[in-house]
Amino acid sequence: MFKKEGGVDDVETIIGPSVQVEGDFVAAGDVIIEGMVSGTIKTEKNLKVGEGAKIFASVTAANALIAGEVQGNVKIKENLELTSTAKIFGDVKTKILTIVSGATLQGKCQAGEERKSKPEKISDSEKSKNKERVKEILDEIPGRVQ
Amino acid sequence: MYLYLYDSFLNNKKFSNTLARIETRLTDLGIGGKICRISPLRNIKELILDEIRNGVKTVVVVGDDKTLNQIVNVVAKYDITVGLIPIGPDNRIAQTLGIPEGQKACDVLAARIIEKIDLGKINETYFLSGIQISSSQITIECENQYRIKPQQENSQIAIYNLRPIFATDLNYFNPKDGFLEVFIQPFTNGFLKIFKKDEERSIIPFKKLVVKSQKSISVITDGQKVLKTPVKIEVVPKKLKLIVGKSRMF
Repeated sequence: MFKKEGGVDDVETIIGPSVQVEGDFVAAGDVIIEGMVSGTIKTEKNLKVGEGAKIFASVTAANALIAGEVQGNVKIKENLELTSTAKIFGDVKTKILTIVSGATLQGKCQAGEERKSKPEKISDSEKSKNKERVKEILDEIPGRVQ
Repeated sequence: MYLYLYDSFLNNKKFSNTLARIETRLTDLGIGGKICRISPLRNIKELILDEIRNGVKTVVVVGDDKTLNQIVNVVAKYDITVGLIPIGPDNRIAQTLGIPEGQKACDVLAARIIEKIDLGKINETYFLSGIQISSSQITIECENQYRIKPQQENSQIAIYNLRPIFATDLNYFNPKDGFLEVFIQPFTNGFLKIFKKDEERSIIPFKKLVVKSQKSISVITDGQKVLKTPVKIEVVPKKLKLIVGKSRMF
């Protein structure tokens, strides 16, 4: 996601520990948060929340790596990774979720896009067809005693 | 047609040899032009406007950062290409633009690689490289959407368009990206300075913001103009046509 730990190669915005941001923070590029943010955070790219960061906001991003504290709902389009120091107090919705042991997650969690499969009814004609097919396959096995 | 603007400090005898070599090189390259010397008694704005009326299309600043910043506000309003021949120690902008000092800059001028770069605008004043805010007791309101508050009293707060010299390793401050960047970094003293410096900085790109404060605070543009808060700062994309070198940092 991010090229290197703490690296800035692909990063466009850094909110450092000595800064507080309030309001609707919208960024087009990657975002690293090490300070305090309250309101909402939206980025179309990657988000990294550092260990000392405190976020009192709902978060939306394409990918996220969270090591700090988030109080609010987290909605990630692709990958969400929670490190052992991560604390999330809110609902999480993502496609792929990775949680390292030690992470705190208090809230509803929805990961993956698959839907529940429903039991299908098989008609009598299909049942008899299936039986015939199984029989044919078994007959083709050489040396099988009937 | 070229206009060469010599800064007043070049009247000093120690620069006469350098200037002579530059003038010879410019003639050799076939890009010689009218030479005007800036002096405190001469109004630069009127001088440049007169020459623009006479058909000048390229204004070449011979001097340092200060000289270039002086003319940015004048030429930004016209369809003029700006070149630079850096002379003297205070030439950080030239480094960012990839222009070597003295005689070698003539070859860059002759090659004429022209980039349309963004300018910053603070209230009604244009700036090229950046501005410095003298106090941390401020609130920065970005795009009418969010506010940035520095948490430490003693911080360096600046807004950059061109990449500053200390940030050559960073992939920020591109004057062609249509953004300016807020840079906030607490001042740290002693041994910790080496380690903590990079960890604590904040860099936030923006297009438009307002700097507010309870008490009136000085904001200094790179042209040494001092304004008082509140100030409105915005980016003006592709406003200035600059002749740059191959080794430019953007």
